[in-house]
Amino acid sequence: MEFTFLFSQFMSGLTYGLMLFLVASGLSLIFGVMNILNFAHATLWLIGAYICFTFWSLMEAHQFALWVSIPLAALATAATGWVCEVVLIKRIYKRELHEQLLITYAMALIFGDLIKIVWGPTDRLIVRPSIIQKPLFLFGAPIDSYFIFVILIGVAVAVGLWWFLKYTKYGHIVKAAVYSREMVGALGIPIPKIYTWVFTLGIFIAGLAGGVQSAIGSVTLGMDMNIIIQAFCVVVIGGFGSLMGTLVGSLIVGEVFSFAILYWPDGAMVLIFVITAMILIVKPWGLFGTPLRA
Amino acid sequence: MKIKVLLSMVLALSIMFSLSGNAPAAEPYNLGVALGFTGTGTLYSKDQMEGIQVAVDEINKEGGFLKKHPIKVFQQDTQTKPDVGVRTVKDLILRDKVRAVINDYSSAVAVAVKPICREYKTLHIAAISNSENITKINYSPYTFQVVPNSYMQAKAASYAVAQMAKTKGWKEYVTLSSDYEWGRSTQEEVVKDLKKVAPFLSVKKELWPKLGETQFASFVTSIMSMKPDFVYACLASKDNVTFTEQAKPYGFFDKIPYVGSMQSVTELITEAKTMPRGLVAISRAPFFAHLDVPMMAEFVKNYRAKYNGKYPSDWAVMGYDAVYALKQGIEKAGSIDTEKVKDAMKGLTVNLTRGKLQFRPIDNQLRCSSYVGVVKDDPKYPFPILAELIEIKAADSERPEAEIIAARQAEKK
Repeated sequence: MEFTFLFSQFMSGLTYGLMLFLVASGLSLIFGVMNILNFAHATLWLIGAYICFTFWSLMEAHQFALWVSIPLAALATAATGWVCEVVLIKRIYKRELHEQLLITYAMALIFGDLIKIVWGPTDRLIVRPSIIQKPLFLFGAPIDSYFIFVILIGVAVAVGLWWFLKYTKYGHIVKAAVYSREMVGALGIPIPKIYTWVFTLGIFIAGLAGGVQSAIGSVTLGMDMNIIIQAFCVVVIGGFGSLMGTLVGSLIVGEVFSFAILYWPDGAMVLIFVITAMILIVKPWGLFGTPLRA
Repeated sequence: MKIKVLLSMVLALSIMFSLSGNAPAAEPYNLGVALGFTGTGTLYSKDQMEGIQVAVDEINKEGGFLKKHPIKVFQQDTQTKPDVGVRTVKDLILRDKVRAVINDYSSAVAVAVKPICREYKTLHIAAISNSENITKINYSPYTFQVVPNSYMQAKAASYAVAQMAKTKGWKEYVTLSSDYEWGRSTQEEVVKDLKKVAPFLSVKKELWPKLGETQFASFVTSIMSMKPDFVYACLASKDNVTFTEQAKPYGFFDKIPYVGSMQSVTELITEAKTMPRGLVAISRAPFFAHLDVPMMAEFVKNYRAKYNGKYPSDWAVMGYDAVYALKQGIEKAGSIDTEKVKDAMKGLTVNLTRGKLQFRPIDNQLRCSSYVGVVKDDPKYPFPILAELIEIKAADSERPEAEIIAARQAEKK
């Protein structure tokens, strides 16, 4: 196999991994801090994609339409997430994990039908600006030029989250809340408010990922249910609540999938689930995770 | 004198009678149209309705069917759902007293509606839904199909690929199919067919993206690295769009012929800017394939005049043909009586936009062609068309009658 094709396959895996990271990082952040397993996360991601399409269609004639629509979609999705947290999520903090899953699953179904009502069942397609319609050649391998943007966004989110958690006051509070929310509360820090903003941040990242995804292919109903399973695999492999774990898990899933397509296409998806199951058996809290809070 | 007066009165009365129309006014022909105007079939159904309307206008201008039965259209929305389809068609039959129903985009709806039409002895014309099972099994003498069915389309694709392979010297190919029942069974059929019609072709790799795959990049680069002579895709419609969108930025379609997707004139128009050129696509009734047929040329002219210069899609063509097939059935029967029309249409050869075509007696399937071509720009149109068009006639693509008989016998067991 020529190097150029292996490199091209590696880049496909890297992009796929970083797309998964964008979806899974919000999911992991919300679970790590709030102990909420949000099954509706990917549906909010899909809402982000649809919102991005709407903004784009309003500015369609302009080359900048896509670049403006993506952050707008992230903000609008974050606002939706904020409403969800205040209206519903706030009430299920102390529920059992399986109850949270059922409630958030119901949310996913409700949002799914809302999407159908608002945007209809037709596939939505964004026409990319001409600058990213042609392939880019790296070491002779063809690369989708939009993927450079995807990689940059993925890296920016990873670095941004890391910086936020490590170097900012709010990041420290969020990290402290992961370990002992009672202690943080005892210090006079309003935990409910922190939770609301962490949830909103997680959904902001989901909306951003949705916006980025919308220019990769058509935006269609049901996309969310496919990606949520892979996002769960990523956080199980990397460890719930661990940013580094989510990044490593995403890259593992992306690259394993990509190279399996090349050498063992029938087993590409199976391999990911095998790895997930093995991690669950050998290291139940994932590669970088810590045991679940009681 | 008395006789004169009597004669004058008789004469006056007969003049009055003749002026007021001594025969009872000819009954209008109630035509039901039950299509999926909402739901996934919206776009195709809208086009089909436009084709039907052009035909109805033309026929009514001459007085209607048999020049005396003006067509009255009763339109209903099936929402592309079988249960709603059944309900609306029952409404059309019982409330609006329609004699024939043109229905639907969705084969599932057409299959569900078929027994209702049989029960109420109403003609049922499947103008664009193309599941073979609409006419192959659970046969109804009231159901007619004017679209190339799924079997004919699959055979046509293999036939065309074999021809292309011979002329272009293709040897190896990769299959890319959605990993579920339809994708697996279609891929299997295609590979089996190609083995028969082009034994020199071999499968290099089989790829199975899951249904609803959102990330095709790994598949794209993997196929490019294998350098096959062509790719045969059996991807579900949404996945097909996602794949083409993701493969395009790699220059995939400039390098590898991509065969298997269905691109009607609707897609050629709506995706004119984004559709990759070079796709090898199958189509059901593209108007540009038959502009040499006067009826097609006339239809295109009238349709464009009525719909602000818009070109008719395959669905509009088949909607138009459905009405004209019915018209010719009525003319042969000499009556609008459904039983007589049904009998007259069996095995009837009709003049349509796609030429002179026969309803096959065994299943009432119109022996129409399928079309395979390469998506290319044409300066004559503001959208790409299928160039290097291969017309695969029914004789080369329809299921042998023996197989239909066997399927019906198996059904009875």
